[in-house]
Amino acid sequence: MIKHAPLRLLAGILSLCSLFVGAVFAQGDHYRFVMVSHIGSNDPNMNWLTTSMKTFEEKYPGVKTEYLSTNEYSLQNFISILNQAIATHPDGIAVPILNNQALQPILDKAISSGIPVVAFNISDPRPVGQRIKYLTYVGGDEYLTGLKLGEHVIELANAGKIPKPTRVMVANHDATHQGLKARARGMTDAMKKINVPVDELIIGADPAQARSVMQSYLGTHKDVNYIFCVASWSSPWAYTVADQMGLKPKLADKGLTIVTVDESPDALEGIKDGKVLECNSQGFWLQGYLPMEILYFNKKMGMSPISDVVTGPIIIDQTNVDQWIKFVKAVIGEDAYKKQLTW
Amino acid sequence: MRRFVRRPDLGIIIGCIFIFALFSLWNPQQWFNWGTISNIGQYTAVLGLLAIGQTFVILIREIDLSVGSVYGIVGITFIGLESSNVSVLMSFIAAMLLALLIGLVNALVVIRGKVPSMIVTLGGLFFYRGLIYVTSKGAVTGTPQAARENWLSQFFGGHWLRIENGFLLFLLLALLCATVLYQTRFGNHLFALGGDPASAESQGVPVDRIKTSAFCLCSLFAGLSAIVTLANNPSTNVSLGTGMELQSIAAVVVGGTLLTGGRGTILGTILGAFFLTAVRAEMIALGAPPSWYISFVGIALLVVVTINTLLAKKLKTA
Repeated sequence: MIKHAPLRLLAGILSLCSLFVGAVFAQGDHYRFVMVSHIGSNDPNMNWLTTSMKTFEEKYPGVKTEYLSTNEYSLQNFISILNQAIATHPDGIAVPILNNQALQPILDKAISSGIPVVAFNISDPRPVGQRIKYLTYVGGDEYLTGLKLGEHVIELANAGKIPKPTRVMVANHDATHQGLKARARGMTDAMKKINVPVDELIIGADPAQARSVMQSYLGTHKDVNYIFCVASWSSPWAYTVADQMGLKPKLADKGLTIVTVDESPDALEGIKDGKVLECNSQGFWLQGYLPMEILYFNKKMGMSPISDVVTGPIIIDQTNVDQWIKFVKAVIGEDAYKKQLTW
Repeated sequence: MRRFVRRPDLGIIIGCIFIFALFSLWNPQQWFNWGTISNIGQYTAVLGLLAIGQTFVILIREIDLSVGSVYGIVGITFIGLESSNVSVLMSFIAAMLLALLIGLVNALVVIRGKVPSMIVTLGGLFFYRGLIYVTSKGAVTGTPQAARENWLSQFFGGHWLRIENGFLLFLLLALLCATVLYQTRFGNHLFALGGDPASAESQGVPVDRIKTSAFCLCSLFAGLSAIVTLANNPSTNVSLGTGMELQSIAAVVVGGTLLTGGRGTILGTILGAFFLTAVRAEMIALGAPPSWYISFVGIALLVVVTINTLLAKKLKTA
């Protein structure tokens, strides 16, 4: 017991202060951030985002994150989910800018009502002054993916480690996907520097059809010695076709070389087995984690980055593939990793 | 001769002779290459199996728009079970039973619910695709090495004397189906039902049973087509089979089977699948962008259906 009156007063003031400070911090930490996404359960990349958001929640107890997504590529459904999310008055929203014209009025309204917004995965392509007033963009760059993978090929070829490209075939399964087109454009621009032609071939998403299309093309384009698969799951198809046609796709054979994208089990094991030269990661984990952290610090301290945060491409090849295999297994699990292997 | 001219598949027979001659003269080196022959044969088998099933349904004045999604879901079930350590044989049986079940459901709703088959199977197209999204979670799935080396996987996806087993199986089943169509009571009932349903019913054709069989056969062939594809390329993805329903209908119609039912041949369907596959392969080989293929299918459909309609009118007046 404190018998002295001034000391009692001081203790009272201190305990009141501590209660007040505690209340302020507790209140400050009780945020709810929502990620509205087009990456649904039909897309394995969702695991990266949800896992990293879970890590964020563990690091910032009291902050709640929610992941809302569409399962199909429908802008209308996406907008409906976004509107629902805004109506719940969250403390912040992370959203991909699927269509800047359609999302502008909705996000402008949310921002003016005091909800901070971070764009992730897909940015508003317009210049900073004209684009939607989100805090920042966190995500990869599809064009850079193709460009950097192509530049890495040139670098290794110049060092004499792999054959010099003579003609590149881009195997694209979806002619309407702007992201895949941007990857192809990046590769084309990289190859332009060494005057190597690049052909984009729409192979379709069915294995039998893709095989048929690639075989027809490779049968008459004998100078193709690189295939760039803009989806990693088509790289085993490309390898099988090239192998059956006697084009020697194994890296050690110095025949045809396959390049692909993403840190999928197919891409990683392909690299490990010498069937694929390289792939990339667009830093999906960071795309789930960083928007939440940016929203947190913006809400708590009013801070935000002054430029966009480009999370990829990170090039993966023989030199770092083992660490990526470990990382991917930790995120999606050993079983799922094995099941997704199609080699 | 008169009988030959009256054949519903006359147009596609002429079309195939024409493209064969054209490609032989234009690009002989590529056209007579074993790789090209094997490539065209393999995809003709995949599309042809789907189209044979579709022929049964179209012959009875119905349509099955769900075959692409059935192809997808059966394929994903087959590979999904294999990767969960279920034996290849059991995976195959389970996948084909699923196909059969889908065919039964389609038939049941069409017959009992009196709902047009276009609506029922359109619903199926979306429903099964949705199921693929949910169950696969978007992941690409492969099969364990042991399953790939299994005798059944080899039976569907292997080779015999450098010829793909899938292609041989397709030819065998096509022969069997042609025999069933022209030499059995069931085949006769199919034509009768497609030609004039009211008259067929009054003649004692078991309409419900024939319709059910046609829808079941259609789904089973779609499932088998997926298994032939995946035994050869053992990987699945959520898009597996997307758009295949329209390709299969195109092959059937280009092959001379009337969408109004009652007239068509299995040979026409086989040639329809071959025609579409061969033209695409050569278009790519000759440097045309593959996207042009879609436009080509549209033009081929218009031309063939117009010719078939004109021929049918002429024959009626003759």
